[in-house]
Amino acid sequence: MQREELVRDIVFDALQNLNDEFADEDKIEITMDTCLFGVDATLDSLSLVSVIVDVEIGIATELGISVALTDDRAMNQEISPFSDVRALTNYINLLLSETSGE
Amino acid sequence: MSNNVILEGMFVTLRSITVNDAEITFKWRQSDRASLLNQGAGDVEQQKNWISSRPSSEYNFIIELKSGAPLGMLSLVDIDNFSKHAETARFLIGEEDAAKGVPAAVESMKLLYDFAFGALELRRLYGTISAENHLMIKWQKYLGMVEEGRLRKHYYINGKFHDAVYLGILKEEYLSITLPKMKSLISLALVKPVSNTQNKL
Repeated sequence: MQREELVRDIVFDALQNLNDEFADEDKIEITMDTCLFGVDATLDSLSLVSVIVDVEIGIATELGISVALTDDRAMNQEISPFSDVRALTNYINLLLSETSGE
Repeated sequence: MSNNVILEGMFVTLRSITVNDAEITFKWRQSDRASLLNQGAGDVEQQKNWISSRPSSEYNFIIELKSGAPLGMLSLVDIDNFSKHAETARFLIGEEDAAKGVPAAVESMKLLYDFAFGALELRRLYGTISAENHLMIKWQKYLGMVEEGRLRKHYYINGKFHDAVYLGILKEEYLSITLPKMKSLISLALVKPVSNTQNKL
C-alpha cells in the first residue's frame, strides 16, 4: 500500500473510532472533505484530541515514525492542518516526507 | 453558594453557577454525553436545590462562549489548602453543536488549571472518570493526567456498575506537558481554515 493511502486509512480509522463512541444521530460522514476543526467544524476540541491521539499512535504503529500534530509548526501553518481530512493527510505526508528525507 | 470568581479566556469565560442555571444544567445532565456521569438531580427543582446548596468551599462554573451563551459546566471541589490538592469534577459540554470548532473544552480546563495551580497555589489535581467514558479518558491523558489507579465497580450508571479510572496531575506536569499542548490546541482554532475551493485544487 502506498504511504499516502496508509495515512488516509489511519485518519479514517481515527474518525471511525470516534463514530464508535457516538450515538447514531451524531455519527460523522467520513470522506476526504469532512471538515474537522474550524469553520463548519464537525468536531469539538474533545473529539479533535481523540483524532489526534489515534492518528499519532497509528502513524507510530504502522510506520514506526513519531509525529507531533499539535506542535508549534502546526500552529504556524498558513492553512490549518485540521481544516478537513485532506488538509490533515497532506500535513502528515509533509511531515513524513521531511522525516524520511524525501 | 459558590465563590463569585470569573475566569476569562480567549474563547470562553467561566463564571459561577447560579440557580438561574438550573434549567439548562438539568437539560445538559439528561444528554447522551452526560450518561456516563454519576446520577444528577431528578428534576429542575432538585437541580435548583443542588445549586443553592453548593458550599462556598467549592468553585462551580458555567462555561460561556464570549457571546454569553452557556456551553457547559466545570467544578473544582474538595479543596485541601493544607495538602494543596483538589478534585476537578462535573465537567460537561452540554451544547455540543455550539462547541464544534471552538476549543471550549481545552480552554475551560486550562482556565481551571491556571486558577487552581496559580491563584489557589495547589500542587495536585485529581479526578475520577467512568472507565466506559473512553473519549474523556483519552482526552485527559493526552492533556497530561496520569492514571493512578482504578476503583472497581465505583459508579452505578444506567443499571450497571462501572469501574472508575483515577487520574491525577501535578503542577510541574501541568506546566511542562499540559500547558504547551493546551496552548497549541487553542491556537489551532486561530489558524486560517482551508476553503473548499482551494482545498480541491
